[in-house]
Amino acid sequence: MNGRSRDAPQPLRPARRAPSGAGPSRRGGTAPPTAAEGRRAGRRGAAMAAAVGKAAGAAYGHGESGGGRGGGGFLGPRVPAEVEAMARGVQEVGKETFRRLLKVTVNALEGKDCKESVKLIAESSNLSEDQLAFLISGMYTLLREALRLPLSTFKQEVFKEHLKELRIPEDFIVDFSSIVFGNRRPASEGAALVQGSRLPGVQDFKWRVDVAISTSSLARALQPSILMMMKLSDGTAHRFEVPVAKFQELRYNVALILKEMNDLEKRSILKIQD
Amino acid sequence: PPLLLPRSIRRAVSLLNAVDAGRFPRLLSRILQKLHLKAESSFSEEEEEKLQIAFSLEKQDLHLVLETISFILEQAVYHNLKPASLQQQLQSIHLDQDKAEAFASAWAAAGQDTIEKFRQRVLTPQKLETIGWQLNLQMAESMQAKLKAPRAVLELGVSNEDSKNTKKVFVEFSHQELFEFYNKLETIQAQLDSLT
Repeated sequence: MNGRSRDAPQPLRPARRAPSGAGPSRRGGTAPPTAAEGRRAGRRGAAMAAAVGKAAGAAYGHGESGGGRGGGGFLGPRVPAEVEAMARGVQEVGKETFRRLLKVTVNALEGKDCKESVKLIAESSNLSEDQLAFLISGMYTLLREALRLPLSTFKQEVFKEHLKELRIPEDFIVDFSSIVFGNRRPASEGAALVQGSRLPGVQDFKWRVDVAISTSSLARALQPSILMMMKLSDGTAHRFEVPVAKFQELRYNVALILKEMNDLEKRSILKIQD
Repeated sequence: PPLLLPRSIRRAVSLLNAVDAGRFPRLLSRILQKLHLKAESSFSEEEEEKLQIAFSLEKQDLHLVLETISFILEQAVYHNLKPASLQQQLQSIHLDQDKAEAFASAWAAAGQDTIEKFRQRVLTPQKLETIGWQLNLQMAESMQAKLKAPRAVLELGVSNEDSKNTKKVFVEFSHQELFEFYNKLETIQAQLDSLT
């Protein structure tokens, strides 16, 4: 995996910082789990904090409570900190504001510029910059992870269950659901969702077949040649001549790959379980 | 068709006639082998010095001899001369018979191959030299899980005449994209077929 990788959950990091209860999640969800734990500790007492600290290590692969509430689902073995923070913070947000935040998030997923919209929300609502930050980043991560999974295997009930476990209000669960499963699903051509990690593909392919009648070295050449011009999706263009023998080799190899692809699609895929 | 020979050829002919007949055929074959390579002289500095000694020629005279031989052979390529015709024309410019015969035999042996190599020479600076490929099954990526999408990567080695090194062009294809590419190749093939 390269390119835009999601922030990996950090299950084995020991609780280094003392619970402060004041640190907000940084945008992009890179806040260490301990900040969230800190906040929780502030609310539920020190005993819980100790249990949480221990469970942090155990949560990975166990999907247990503590650091990994609702873990083991589409959000991974440990719920990302920003999603947890969002789940809590969103309970105090009004429906109108929530819907506006959701719209901004979907725009971001589609690759559109949202600076203006975020500014508007900041001005018109009573949310602080920090609150906006973790609300939007939490919603973004939640949706991005949900949208990664193909609809054939990811069911709406499972999704809703997870959100219930996170204590997200019912209304908002419905809204989230309609984005992932309904017709408001962001177009897959959206910049954030399109595969960024691939080699360039052929964008434009032009060719010509020439026959050289005569050249400076041969009065009667009568030699066919092929000229190819390829424009790739990364913007580069390549123009080159292909000797007839090489062309045959190219054609043969492409046919061979296609045959292998067909074979692959028929057998291996059926064996690999989803 | 007659060979177009410059007047300075007379001096070259007399030099050629003077050259040791024993080593002449090998010299011809060697020049013929590398004739199609542009801008590359057939002999290195070292080799030229050895030739100077072997044929007892001064540097300038050796150059003239080598250039004349190349020139004659290039003309033979251009006109696709038959060996007999070549011999006859050389004799008509007063080249000794044994030398003319040597030309004719060397030409008869390697002439067609040389012409073919000239045919393959391209004027465009870039030529496709190598083709490599890899077929992958993409299982997932950062933005999508559970893909199972076959993807092919073609590696095209394109040589550049100026820089003499091969540039590798990597192109990725999905199944559909490769299929479309193949159809275009088939169209090209149909065109080639219609030529014969």
